[in-house]
Amino acid sequence: MNARTALRLGCLAGVSALLLTACSGGAAGGDDASDPITVGISLPLTGDFSEPGKGVQRGYEAWAAAVNATGGLLGRQVELRILDDQSNADRVVADYESLIAQDQVDLVFGPFSTRLVVPSARVAQEYEMLFVEPAGAAAEVFEQGFDNLFYAAPAIADDHYNHLAETIIAMPDGQRPQTAAYAAMDDPFAQGTAYGLKAKLEAAGIRTVVDEVYPPNTTDFSSIAAQIADSQADIVVGGTQYQDAVNLIVALRQLAYQPKLAAFSTAPTNPEFAEAIGGGTEGILSPTGYTPEAPYPSNVDFVQRYTAQFGNPPTEDEANAYTTGQVVAAAVQAVGCAEQGECQQRLIDWLRTNTVDTVVGPLSWDAQGRPQSAHLIQQYVDGGIRIVLPQDTAEAEFAYPKATW
Amino acid sequence: MSGSLLFQSLVLGILLGGLYALLAAGLTLYFGVMRVVMIAHAAFLVLAAYLAWDVHERFGVDPLLSLVVTVPLFFLAGVGFQRLLIARLRPASVTMMSVLLTFAVALVIEGALGFVYSGTQRRVQLSYSAASIEVLGAQVAVVKLIAFGLAAFSLLALYLLLTRSRFGQALRATIQHPQAARLIGIDTDRVAGYGFGLGLATAAIGGTALSLDSTIYPSLHWHWIGPLMAIIVVGGLGSIPGAAIAAMVLGIVQSLLQLPLGTTWAQTVFYLALFATLLVRPQGFFGGRLAQRF
Repeated sequence: MNARTALRLGCLAGVSALLLTACSGGAAGGDDASDPITVGISLPLTGDFSEPGKGVQRGYEAWAAAVNATGGLLGRQVELRILDDQSNADRVVADYESLIAQDQVDLVFGPFSTRLVVPSARVAQEYEMLFVEPAGAAAEVFEQGFDNLFYAAPAIADDHYNHLAETIIAMPDGQRPQTAAYAAMDDPFAQGTAYGLKAKLEAAGIRTVVDEVYPPNTTDFSSIAAQIADSQADIVVGGTQYQDAVNLIVALRQLAYQPKLAAFSTAPTNPEFAEAIGGGTEGILSPTGYTPEAPYPSNVDFVQRYTAQFGNPPTEDEANAYTTGQVVAAAVQAVGCAEQGECQQRLIDWLRTNTVDTVVGPLSWDAQGRPQSAHLIQQYVDGGIRIVLPQDTAEAEFAYPKATW
Repeated sequence: MSGSLLFQSLVLGILLGGLYALLAAGLTLYFGVMRVVMIAHAAFLVLAAYLAWDVHERFGVDPLLSLVVTVPLFFLAGVGFQRLLIARLRPASVTMMSVLLTFAVALVIEGALGFVYSGTQRRVQLSYSAASIEVLGAQVAVVKLIAFGLAAFSLLALYLLLTRSRFGQALRATIQHPQAARLIGIDTDRVAGYGFGLGLATAAIGGTALSLDSTIYPSLHWHWIGPLMAIIVVGGLGSIPGAAIAAMVLGIVQSLLQLPLGTTWAQTVFYLALFATLLVRPQGFFGGRLAQRF
């Protein structure tokens, strides 16, 4: 490239940049009743979190389509402005800065995962914007002192097993398990689920006989399994992601260990799980934040619309994004405004004190934005995975003790 | 801590040590015949595990059958690797440069595995993956027993080959003193090539054994190469019996240490043993004069 071409290209780029800013400056900023409500979002559409990131995008799009099809929000259409942060925490900060300050979006929704939620929530806090997020269940999200953040899912990691804990504690004396073994991956989310249950069971007098933490990427679980098998614990709880649960279960079966109850986070909700552990799934428990079969009225509508739009039923990522939309929409409808400035504080105040009906059930929050519900508990029953707890949404009877594996 | 748990851990440690022994034997062989530090050994191990998984997935046959193809294939690849790449390194700097070269090969294999099979973790689904037999109160998983049997059989075959055959004598002569070996008429280049092929063949067997009872993913080899390197230093560089004994001892110690220390800290046993060896006995505990020269 010679100097002249470079100069020309430079000029062209400069002019285009000016034109672009001029255009976007003209489009945003109006609060006219006929103007669309713009929602600024940054998502990891490429990079490490691209798979769940795209799921969240589909959920947001499904929400916008549903709102616009039913007359919009406050009579105005909704327009999403989605940027790609490439799963990069620096990028996500720049994205929200520009969405709020330059594009003057009326509302913001959160990105995916703790690593991106924390820095972007900080930006929203600086601009005093309401920040509802669809992912970021780890305890640290709620320990940063945010007063604008709300997590749009039933429960943070530590509370995933609440329904199971209640059920175990309520068992009659002769039946109730006496001892428990815990194995958790060294990961804030996976550990949170197992330790949340551990704290509740210990408080109820169920003795912890094994408590092991293993690094992510561990593939040999035979030693952990040997300790659990030797302890003959009545129940085994795994703070797991996916492969670690598969490896741990196979190792436990190799040692002929038969617990009365086995609960693992995340892995059992994966469609490949049953095949991966080679059968013997009967009775395995898992918490889940969402099921398309949930009977909440807005969920029936969501599943129908989503399936028509994308050709398959939604999963947890899509549902949590849709929930985020529902939560913000409920506040906007109640308060009657959607713009930057003093309106945002009114939205935040409204959410602090109210309960919102969503596709994952009714949600309310504490002062740090922790949702106050618990996850549904699923169990493998007759080869299929069914909701067994809480009883009012159960699709099948909670089986205890579990069948042998 | 009960006696039965201790015994169970000991059994698991022996089973694990067997696999370590086979893999370490291959790794120390490269160093012995060529003074090559083969960082890619574990990458070939994972490659063989993927091939076993692929064969099982594609044709529905037992992953052990993949050995029929992978062992000769890896042997030939090893010979080719030595003749075409390693032999071109300057003899004076071969040890150091081989680290760079084989590091690159490891990265290429890892990248290719990720490209072809994606980064998803894989596991061979076997009807007998959860089966076990009881031995004196300890449960021994069938898959682990098969892996151990494979390792023991291969080590024995390697031992017999090295001690009873003319080729083995030539190989040992090449390890002990390449110049003298050449003087008495041994074609050391060819012997070195075959030695390298043998090393890679152990990776093929080890990888297949590994695939029976473990999740595999492209970057898994980094997990293996550290402990294996530590084992061959503790055992004495270039000494096959030394590597096998050190592997067995460290495998058992790791397995037992997991009881009081947990999984995270038990891994450090390899590196602690490495430091201790370098401080107390740099030539290794079973190594001969060869290791002393480095």
